[in-house]
Amino acid sequence: MIPRLKAGAHDRGLHRAGPGANLLLLGAMLAVGFATPSVVLKIAAVALVVVLTAVSGEGARRFLGSLRFVIVFAVLLFAVQALTVGEGNVLLPTPVRITDRGLIAGAGMALRFLVVLSSSFLFALVVDPDRLARSLIRLRIPYRYGYLLILSLRFVPFFRRETAIVREAQRMRGIEASVRTPRSLARAIRFTFVPVLVSGLTRVDSIAMSMTGRCFGLHRRRTALTDDRWTTADGAVVALSLAMALLVWGSRAGGWP
Amino acid sequence: MSSNEGHRLAIRDLSVLYPDRTDRALDRVDETIEEGEIVAVTGPSGCGKSTLCRMIAGFVPSLVPAEVSGEVRIADRLVDRMSPEAIAGRVGFVQQDPDAQICTLRVRQEVAFGPENLCLPADEIRSRVEASLAAMRIEALAERSTPTLSGGEKQRLAVASILAMHPRVLLLDEPSASLDPEGARDLFSLLKGLSRDERRTLVVVEHRLRPLLGLRPRLVVLDRGRIVARRDGREPIDLVAAGLRDAWPAARPVRRPGPAALALERIAFGYDRPLFSGLSLTVRGGEILGVIGPNGGGKTSLLRLIAGLERPWTGTIRRPESARVGFVFQHPHHQIFERTVARELRIDGQASDREVAARLATARLDGLAAAPPLSLSLGEQRRLTLMTALARDPDLVLLDEPFIGQDRRNVVWILSRLLRVRHRGGIVVLVSHDIDLIGALSDRVLFLGGEAIAGRPGEVFAQLAASGRPLFTPLLNGGGS
Repeated sequence: MIPRLKAGAHDRGLHRAGPGANLLLLGAMLAVGFATPSVVLKIAAVALVVVLTAVSGEGARRFLGSLRFVIVFAVLLFAVQALTVGEGNVLLPTPVRITDRGLIAGAGMALRFLVVLSSSFLFALVVDPDRLARSLIRLRIPYRYGYLLILSLRFVPFFRRETAIVREAQRMRGIEASVRTPRSLARAIRFTFVPVLVSGLTRVDSIAMSMTGRCFGLHRRRTALTDDRWTTADGAVVALSLAMALLVWGSRAGGWP
Repeated sequence: MSSNEGHRLAIRDLSVLYPDRTDRALDRVDETIEEGEIVAVTGPSGCGKSTLCRMIAGFVPSLVPAEVSGEVRIADRLVDRMSPEAIAGRVGFVQQDPDAQICTLRVRQEVAFGPENLCLPADEIRSRVEASLAAMRIEALAERSTPTLSGGEKQRLAVASILAMHPRVLLLDEPSASLDPEGARDLFSLLKGLSRDERRTLVVVEHRLRPLLGLRPRLVVLDRGRIVARRDGREPIDLVAAGLRDAWPAARPVRRPGPAALALERIAFGYDRPLFSGLSLTVRGGEILGVIGPNGGGKTSLLRLIAGLERPWTGTIRRPESARVGFVFQHPHHQIFERTVARELRIDGQASDREVAARLATARLDGLAAAPPLSLSLGEQRRLTLMTALARDPDLVLLDEPFIGQDRRNVVWILSRLLRVRHRGGIVVLVSHDIDLIGALSDRVLFLGGEAIAGRPGEVFAQLAASGRPLFTPLLNGGGS
């Protein structure tokens, strides 16, 4: 008896909404990041991103862990602003001058940075590139460009894996990965870059052959296995995005903090 | 035209010469393959097997430039008058490395990719996708991300995605190269069903013929671009008589094995799940340890643990402090760094010209000293990487599937080098799916696959046969085909 093979699936939260709805949500998040000065709204947006990550089954703790460098950079931005903006009411005169405007400016900049990057990261996590490419094709973008996106993403894990293997091969051969001098840096790049490039080019040839062998490019248009229909998840995400847009408008009009 | 002639493949006086080569890849090849036939094409590396597949699939010369004379006809239509895309509706080509032909990020999308390109209606695409997934028994993987699949799963996916195109002719280039014996049996069993039930023509290129025996194929043997032998599929293939058997003369036992030089004590290791636990094993100097087991059983991980590239979850690995380790990876290009073959063999400028010349001669790479290593054939690259790994006289040599894509001549060369390591008291740890070779060469065998079985080859193979895994025993021990 030939065994049947097993697997799981992603079908929670934002995964259930289409790329269009998720794109709209990203747009609303970017509006919070760029179009409103409200610090409260930005804090709410960051909190919403974390909640949506958890609801989508991606693991909030893992998500925050992968944003570690973004968070550290945001804290640095805040500190620099707080220490360098001298206008406003002085809150701490010595040894450095901290003002209320400095704190608000720092918080605004750090939160903007966090909102934009965390929401973009969440978008990349929950949107299936295949579906995104299909959405682009529906928007009359030639399907070859849509597949360029998919193939680019297909190569990311490949290059990561190949680089790790080549580095291990160097280690086993006793090749130092030193980058202390320009010469050793050039050598390290050549020793890593060339084998990975060769792998990549070989892979590109094979994939091109595989695509041609399955009639890619035979017709000007192609059909699709699934027609992404409007779902309640799409409706919920669009409603959330519109609500956020309204809040952005309200915060600007009402001068919310 | 009779139904039997429906998708006959007719190859007439076919010659192919690639640019910058002096020898033809194919030299006046004549062959007719009837609809529903199963044909195995075999022969040494560089004999033209893959070129023959690429010609039938229409990739040469339209995608791969070459000078071509003669003709290939499918269903009486000349292939060179059809575009590769048009041929693809009749001929499906599964390339050697399944990972290298996956274009999308989800299993279901990958299978749908071809039918979508044919502009089929969504219902028809859906039905083809479901049927192809079912034919390869991977329905449960439908929503999986393609980069997360194992080698065996990718192989099945590659075949399923071609089946969805409904080709009448299936070309498979070394489909069992990365599969364990049971995975290879499963794949060929599925393919045999397709040929029997749907009269699809199968052309299978293989170095290792043992996995093919159950298919009872007609055999075509190529050498230097020419067909040098044919054997009828109606008779069982006697590979020994045909001189094609993947059997190897048994290595003579070591007279006085050295002291214990590599000891694994209660090792537990895994990634997202445990691969093995409580693994204990001792290998003495002058011994070859053969490691076998199913895909995903932890064979490569064991090599990485021994090499120090991974740390065990629990347990200890003991080897002499000063032990020099040579690791030969599965794909030679990962271990090639220098601009010329000579520089590669000079090992960081440490070897003299005389030593480099001797290494070139030993690796049968004379005359290629100034050649860029990556321009060498796969067999030459394998000899080069083994030579560089052995150049420092390592006490411990680790090899991960070194025989994939290698012909008998190269395999014999590799074996001769490994036996020399053993002779001078070194340890060789060899991972391979070639059970006959492991059986003939190893002083100890380790089976990793759910459970770990270690011991003398006879003991391990007897246990495997008794536990219902005859495909992991050598053919001479009665291993199944």
